[in-house]
Amino acid sequence: MSTDRSSATSRAQHPTLDELRAEAIRAARKPRAFGWFYVLEHMVRAMRAYGWTIVASALGQPLLYLFGLALGLAALISTPVDDGGVSVRYLVFVAPALIAAATIAVATEEMTYPVMSGFKWRLYFFGFSASPISSAQIATGVALAPASRMLAAAVPYYLIVWIFGGVETPATGWLAIGIGVLAGLAFGTPLMAYAASIEDDKGQFALVQRFIFMPMFLFSGTFYPLTNLEWWLAWIGWISPLWHASELGRMAMYGKPIGTGMMWIHIAYLVILAVGGYLMARRMFSRRLEK
Amino acid sequence: MTLTESGTRRRAGGVRALWAGNPLAVVQRGLVAARSSSWAVVLSGFFEPVFYLASMGIGLGSMIGLITLADGTKVEYAAFIAPALLAVSAMNGAIYDSTWNVFFKLNYGKLYEGMLSTSLGPLDVALGEIMYAMLRGLVYASGFLIIMQVAGLNLSWTAVLALPAVLLIAFGFASLGMAVTSYMKTFQHMDWINMVLLPMFLFSATLFPITNYPEWVQGIIQAFPLWHGVELIRGLTTGALHMGMLWHVVYYLVMIAVGLLFTTKRLRALFLD
Repeated sequence: MSTDRSSATSRAQHPTLDELRAEAIRAARKPRAFGWFYVLEHMVRAMRAYGWTIVASALGQPLLYLFGLALGLAALISTPVDDGGVSVRYLVFVAPALIAAATIAVATEEMTYPVMSGFKWRLYFFGFSASPISSAQIATGVALAPASRMLAAAVPYYLIVWIFGGVETPATGWLAIGIGVLAGLAFGTPLMAYAASIEDDKGQFALVQRFIFMPMFLFSGTFYPLTNLEWWLAWIGWISPLWHASELGRMAMYGKPIGTGMMWIHIAYLVILAVGGYLMARRMFSRRLEK
Repeated sequence: MTLTESGTRRRAGGVRALWAGNPLAVVQRGLVAARSSSWAVVLSGFFEPVFYLASMGIGLGSMIGLITLADGTKVEYAAFIAPALLAVSAMNGAIYDSTWNVFFKLNYGKLYEGMLSTSLGPLDVALGEIMYAMLRGLVYASGFLIIMQVAGLNLSWTAVLALPAVLLIAFGFASLGMAVTSYMKTFQHMDWINMVLLPMFLFSATLFPITNYPEWVQGIIQAFPLWHGVELIRGLTTGALHMGMLWHVVYYLVMIAVGLLFTTKRLRALFLD
């Protein structure tokens, strides 16, 4: 009893070093364990600054593309599209690719400048790093925030396509949402690793937009079957996450016949890119934050 | 006494107060800046319409075949979209230069404050920036027209006139874009520009004729500037000319006048008054 009281009084006046350490460890336990979540929360809250832009593009983009392509272009392509053995309407054909393209567009927006700015201009990653949150957890949180916006883009896209009558097999069609998020991460995490490595802004992201995103969007069999292109252009599709995701999405949304082996190749390619990019991003974050 | 007098006096009166007759100084500054930093980005703008032409012309062209123009001429799909892509790239280049670029210089680089503290007036700055944007547009357009010529997509000698037409379109978008930018306060506002550009790109008879739409939709499309640019250039490169094309020119002349008036007024309000 007496020892207890004396330690209590001594803590009120002069806490010992051990007591201080114990208190710090107690306080740090939660952020240490769930650090990625705190980072994710910050990043998502920061998105509210342009929340209306996110909502407007998540709803406006699918409506515009479907109205533009499904009504306009489809009128030129009078015959149904012959896609690897099945004949489908043009809207049904483009929809799975457009969902994946939308999530990849989110990746190009959220995994470039926001990442560089956290290191270079606004320095908030260094702020996180001064707390018990580890650099790997920071990287995880920064990768998951765009994933949540990808989900917020893919879900309304899928629903709008469905309302337009563009989903032939609703039983598996919803898988296109998950495929879309996977595609966004497959393109986004390597990009995030690159963004984390940039020290000086010399317009690198404009070049990524023009020489990687654009060709990928245009030559991945988004608007027509990839087989319409000769091999010297088709290879862009083969290496692009967009094509692999579109093929999976087509399988899910209208049952395009794809062999099991090929299906696993598509999935494996996307997973390898997403995980590999994530691991690279973690290394970049650690290298830069623990310098 | 004289100091306070001239300090409080508002710049009023005619064009002389806004104009030192030297917009080329601003153009020159743009060229020097491009040489030292962002030439790769500047060059990359040329490739965008080329990628579109290759993707849509080859990939979609094989599914679509011939397209009938307004005057009944039938042309290949690639020859149909190529002039539209030329107009779109003129629009995009001018808008990029007059919005993102100007926004940064206005709010972060504080470039115009420096310029306006010299003998240059707001009209010099506005015209100089616009001329620089047009110069870029001219380089892109010349390259693209050469590609069209090699690919056999220029169906008439009047295709040469597409070059001045591109300049007209770029002038229109640049002057209006700069006026709009002067109202923007944050980067997020800039996203709204894309939300105007995307539907314009998708619907303005770029990838398919607008006759696929009901009349009221066509009316809306025809009110927007890109459609006029697309029709003008398409007429010139395919050789399907008619007198009505002069209306497209008038549309852009009005757009340029309105844009210049607005931009000068805004720059003056921001910096001089």
